[in-house]
Amino acid sequence: MRLPPLPRRILVGVSVVVLLALGAIALLAYLHSPNRGLPYRDSFAQGAAREWKALGGTWELVHGVMRNDSDERGAKLLAGSPYWRNYSIEADVNLLGSSGDAGLIIRSSDEEEGVNAYSGYYAGVRTRDNGLVLGRADHGWMEVYKQSPAAGGIRPFQWYHLKLLAYDCHIVAAVAPPSTAASTLLGIDDRNCIQSGRIGLRSYSAGGIWRNVVVKSATREDLAEMLRPMGTERQAESRNAAPEGDETGREQMLSKRPGDSDRIPVALSIESLRLGPFAKPERATIRGVVNLATPMLFVQDSTGGVYIPGPNAPLLKVGDEVEVTGEAHPGDFSTTMEHATVKVLWARTPMPPVSVTASQASTGKFDAEFVEVQGHLASKEYGPENTLVLNLDEGPQSFRAILNRGRGDYLFSTLKPGSSLRLRGICVVDPAFTKNLTPFVLLLRSNEDLQVLAGPPWWSTGHVIALIIASLLIALVINFAYHRIAHWRLQGVLEERQRLAHEMHDTLAQSFAGIGFQLQAIRNRLPGEDTAVLQQLDLASDLVRHSHEEARRSIATLRPESLESEDILSALDRCARRMVEGGSVHVISEKEGDQRPIPLRIADTLYRIGQEAIANAVRHAQPTILTIRLKYGQNLACLHIEDNGGGFEKGNGLLGFGIRGMRRRAQSISAKFHIESKVGAGTLIEVAAPLPPRITVANAPRLVWRYLREHWIDARHSKQADSYSYRG
Amino acid sequence: MIWDSAHAGAVAGVNKTGASIYWNAPTREDDVEAQIALVDRVVSGNYQGLVLAPDQALSLISPVLRALSHGIPTVIISSPLPIPAGGNLSYILNDDEEGGRLAAKRAAALMNGHGTVAILGINPDIAGIMIRARAFEQFMAQNEPGIRIVEKHMGTFNAAHEQQVAEDTLRANPNLDLIVALVGSTIDGSVAALETTAGNRSVRIIGFDAFGGLSFHQGAGLDSVIQQDTRSMAEQAVELIHARRMGQPVPSLVHIRPKLLTRENIDTAEVRQMTSSDWTLGHWAWSSAQ
Repeated sequence: MRLPPLPRRILVGVSVVVLLALGAIALLAYLHSPNRGLPYRDSFAQGAAREWKALGGTWELVHGVMRNDSDERGAKLLAGSPYWRNYSIEADVNLLGSSGDAGLIIRSSDEEEGVNAYSGYYAGVRTRDNGLVLGRADHGWMEVYKQSPAAGGIRPFQWYHLKLLAYDCHIVAAVAPPSTAASTLLGIDDRNCIQSGRIGLRSYSAGGIWRNVVVKSATREDLAEMLRPMGTERQAESRNAAPEGDETGREQMLSKRPGDSDRIPVALSIESLRLGPFAKPERATIRGVVNLATPMLFVQDSTGGVYIPGPNAPLLKVGDEVEVTGEAHPGDFSTTMEHATVKVLWARTPMPPVSVTASQASTGKFDAEFVEVQGHLASKEYGPENTLVLNLDEGPQSFRAILNRGRGDYLFSTLKPGSSLRLRGICVVDPAFTKNLTPFVLLLRSNEDLQVLAGPPWWSTGHVIALIIASLLIALVINFAYHRIAHWRLQGVLEERQRLAHEMHDTLAQSFAGIGFQLQAIRNRLPGEDTAVLQQLDLASDLVRHSHEEARRSIATLRPESLESEDILSALDRCARRMVEGGSVHVISEKEGDQRPIPLRIADTLYRIGQEAIANAVRHAQPTILTIRLKYGQNLACLHIEDNGGGFEKGNGLLGFGIRGMRRRAQSISAKFHIESKVGAGTLIEVAAPLPPRITVANAPRLVWRYLREHWIDARHSKQADSYSYRG
Repeated sequence: MIWDSAHAGAVAGVNKTGASIYWNAPTREDDVEAQIALVDRVVSGNYQGLVLAPDQALSLISPVLRALSHGIPTVIISSPLPIPAGGNLSYILNDDEEGGRLAAKRAAALMNGHGTVAILGINPDIAGIMIRARAFEQFMAQNEPGIRIVEKHMGTFNAAHEQQVAEDTLRANPNLDLIVALVGSTIDGSVAALETTAGNRSVRIIGFDAFGGLSFHQGAGLDSVIQQDTRSMAEQAVELIHARRMGQPVPSLVHIRPKLLTRENIDTAEVRQMTSSDWTLGHWAWSSAQ
């Protein structure tokens, strides 16, 4: 049996669906690939680190290396794919403190800001016990193994090459200290291991510096290779990364403590330097905490801040307690210490910022101090020397914030003008930074010094204009829909009338005609002498004829004229001529003004009023002339029905001629109804109906305003009326 | 005194040009926020020029830049802002370097090249005060090695506080020869301190910019005052704005030399003209009720 071939269209459709499904699966597989993005090499040397996300710390790119100056316990910087499985990460690590550790994270997931707030493996170098530490974090810390390097131990301010590899459930870490012959190696087998995750840099209770971060896919051979003793290669790298003089100096300084015999005895308060001699700078010594280490050094004590250009200093980090000796140059608002030598006394927690307003910062009283200020972002721009510049306003003051590029680039791109920001940084009033455009500038230390409090307000000029336009469009649509519905309803009424007219014509009128014929036939057959019966038959015939005429008139009244295809005047003329057909009444129809379209509802009402007036004239006034006149004004249609018949006296008789009905109809379209009659002098009926104005570009705003005002007045009147009736 | 004189100068300038002025100032010298509000009022109002004697060197940067961005010709008088002159911005400044040198020369003459000096009233809010303090020190360091500056203190516009600082200085330095009071409130405080602190009658005071009426006869302490000519500054500032609006070329920066006032010249016609605060000339006709 052979199946009939599928239609070509179905085949194409199925093929497209299958291809789309395969594409989606392939894309999903690519996104979840354990090797996507590998191998990876950092771009720190090029000043780029957009792919890294910080959780705690003050991570910043400085001179081509990633640096965290914070002493926080467990500051992390994360990157990579959460689907990376078997891979290795290696980097040069420099520990900025003698009481903490710094290292690398592998297979990290579920990260938060916090001490051990992630799931993954961490290996780092630690000074406290001179060891290489390896462990697993699961929002808690399990230190599975540690081992001291063979010789030399772990020292701060030295470069170490650290490598961490994960293959299946084997985790191996190795560190190559600078002065030993062999690397130190650690390995664990974690039975219920974490299978995949991304990479990270991490420090604990000390700052750190990282460079040359490389991530590669790992194989079983790589694992076996790493587990073999690692000798010559790492030794060479260690020698290349020989300690720098400043760092050694810092280490030596850190080993000293206040009170040592070679200390400079007197340290002045920073505030007192401002009253030093203006004419001839004197050497002075101060002690304070480092608030900004790069690209400039700012030190602060409880009395103020000081700027130290080009210091002779070891590697410093934010939070270091230092002793500075140099030439004090008092400025208007702060002091600069030139040719200064900086000694590190000890590491401590970074100084918290002083929260001030922009107006307070604008006085210069917080020059060279670490402050926290709020402001609204006015604009942003790229500044010189690879910096990002934020222009901010707060109250009457404007100021700027300067941030290094690198990690700040992404945040910078997401900031929207008008946003409310909280910024922490060093307040500087030096014209070299302010360019005399703002009273002060904030030097931000890292991305984390900038917090977005709220986005720009929704009520911008553009949004308000868009809202007004949208409201107008909606109002127009509603108005259009309302009139369409009213039109449809009227059409329904007209159709119903037509149906009734047909029904009456086919039943009632036909019956009257039949009865008339029958009565006439009976009368013709009766002998002439039976006069009483004949008289009764004539009376009955007259009644039937009269009823038949009434029925025909009703049918004529109900039958809608085609007002959409012809004008009111023609329709009324035709109606009048039909009514006076066979009589001696002369019908005159006149039109004045420029004819224009009349809405169906108004046209129908005018037609009904005109029809009633013509019927009254024909039926009751016995006129010889009947004049129908339609005047078109600018915003008005005025219908006149005039006859030269008998007229009537104003009084109760008015209501009997259907005048009440005509008046009510006129009111329904807000038309003015006027009737004038005198016995023997005919009758004039006048209806003036307002027409909607012609909308042009020029008069549209005026019409909208008038429309709103009239509706507001109507609403107010109706409200007043309601309240009156309530008071009742 | 100095700002009443400035008002008189501004009115004189107005009389020459046929303009009218709105004159106002904060009730305290250090009320920077109030002065910013006044500048913003000018920016949002229908004014054709702004003359400003800034109370604070940095805080007025943004408001003045706003005024300039609105096209309002602005003249800064007395003490400078860090904004460079040019465009609609001009400076008519007190020559504070000259003032500092005048004070130093006067001090050297008083002390015959030997003695100790205390500088009180240092206030970085007013850039001119820092300029005069530096000029004084520079002159002393270069020309008068026998005169030592033994004390320096920050100052405020609060005379009572300045008196306290002066008294502390006198107590700490029993052999002090001279006080240099860099601002009017410090003059008042130092004069009061000399009157209340026994044993320091020989200390002399050289001051800057007396606020009130000058009286060299109240005590022997006040030797002289270096007074800035705010009257001329304000008058020239009004004329400069008028000239700018007329499309005439105007200078961007003018320095007006201060005047050393002593008991010898305080009653001269030149000084009386400079320190006159009668800003009602020709505008306010009044008579006594008697």
